Amino acid sequence: MIIVAIILGCIVGALIGMNSPIIPYTYSGYLAIAIIAALDSVFGGISSILNKNFDLKIFVSGFFGNAILSILLTYLGQKLNVDIYLAAIVVFVGRMFNNLAIIRRYYLEKFVKYRNSQNKKKEQINTDK
Amino acid sequence: MKKVKLNNMAVSFVMFIVCVCLMCVMFMQFRTVEETDITDIKNMREAELRKSLAEWKSKYEEVEEQLNNTNQKIKEYNEKIGKSEEAAELIDKELEQSNLAVGKTDVEGEGVVITLKDTEEKDVEGWDLLNLINELKYAGAEAISVNDVRIINTSEIADLGGYSYISVGQQRLEGPYVVKAIGSQAYLSSILNLKDSGYVDQSKSRGIDVKVEPNKKIEIPKYNGEMAYKYLKVEEETK
Repeated sequence: MIIVAIILGCIVGALIGMNSPIIPYTYSGYLAIAIIAALDSVFGGISSILNKNFDLKIFVSGFFGNAILSILLTYLGQKLNVDIYLAAIVVFVGRMFNNLAIIRRYYLEKFVKYRNSQNKKKEQINTDK
Repeated sequence: MKKVKLNNMAVSFVMFIVCVCLMCVMFMQFRTVEETDITDIKNMREAELRKSLAEWKSKYEEVEEQLNNTNQKIKEYNEKIGKSEEAAELIDKELEQSNLAVGKTDVEGEGVVITLKDTEEKDVEGWDLLNLINELKYAGAEAISVNDVRIINTSEIADLGGYSYISVGQQRLEGPYVVKAIGSQAYLSSILNLKDSGYVDQSKSRGIDVKVEPNKKIEIPKYNGEMAYKYLKVEEETK
């Protein structure tokens, strides 16, 4: 059910996005930061699911909160003439890589365990024979 | 069980919304990045616009300065051209005047034509011509020619071969001698025709046939010979 909702949401969102008007180039920088923040939240959510401490409230608030906060920070940076969005990108992308590493390790361990168990089974069968 | 199901529904609903938001924004951004031309002025950021504006402004100023400089130069050149044209005109005028005075141009004007003819009694001598020309000059003749040979300041008049020829300006002439003079018609003829002391009377008394005809339009050709000075030099100014 959740997976279906995710796929459906992706398709609907893509359709809406394709048919939406183009935003001015001036604001596309803010949007890019928001996207990075959202993606960071998504990967964080996946890794937290894998660690079995996933909380929907934290995920949703992080998803929207981070996006809005990053936009505000970028705006502030522009007002102060400091490229704060660079710091935001560094932080978010760094966290994304962290989470990706966690996800990768989880599945790698799972895969290795599965292989080991298969090998053991084979050995057992062999020894049985 | 029911609670779990509701929870599941809520989670999937929230996930749906999250996914919609994320995908929507992402595709919007993709399209924006894809379709916007960075060089288009509409999409430029304020700072970039300001920068390019300043650049253009400085360029404009530079070009304007160049234009001003060039215009000034053109003005100067025009002034110079005007000046040199004036000078050239002056020189031209002066040259014309000098040529007129020296006898290097064909000239015309009112004056008198005097014809001297040999008679059986007497031939025309060089002295007669010389005297006539002197009289004409005295009467204010501005240009004189003898048989269409222009008299200039270096022209000589001399007898050649026993009066049968007269040399005028290195050219041999034979009678009858037609002397043309440009000047005041009335004054010239009156001076020549003075009673007793005038040239005509005196020449006639010596036995030469003299005829004076006033003329409204006399043409006198220019001097044909060379006018080179070998020994004459402009005095150098000593400092």
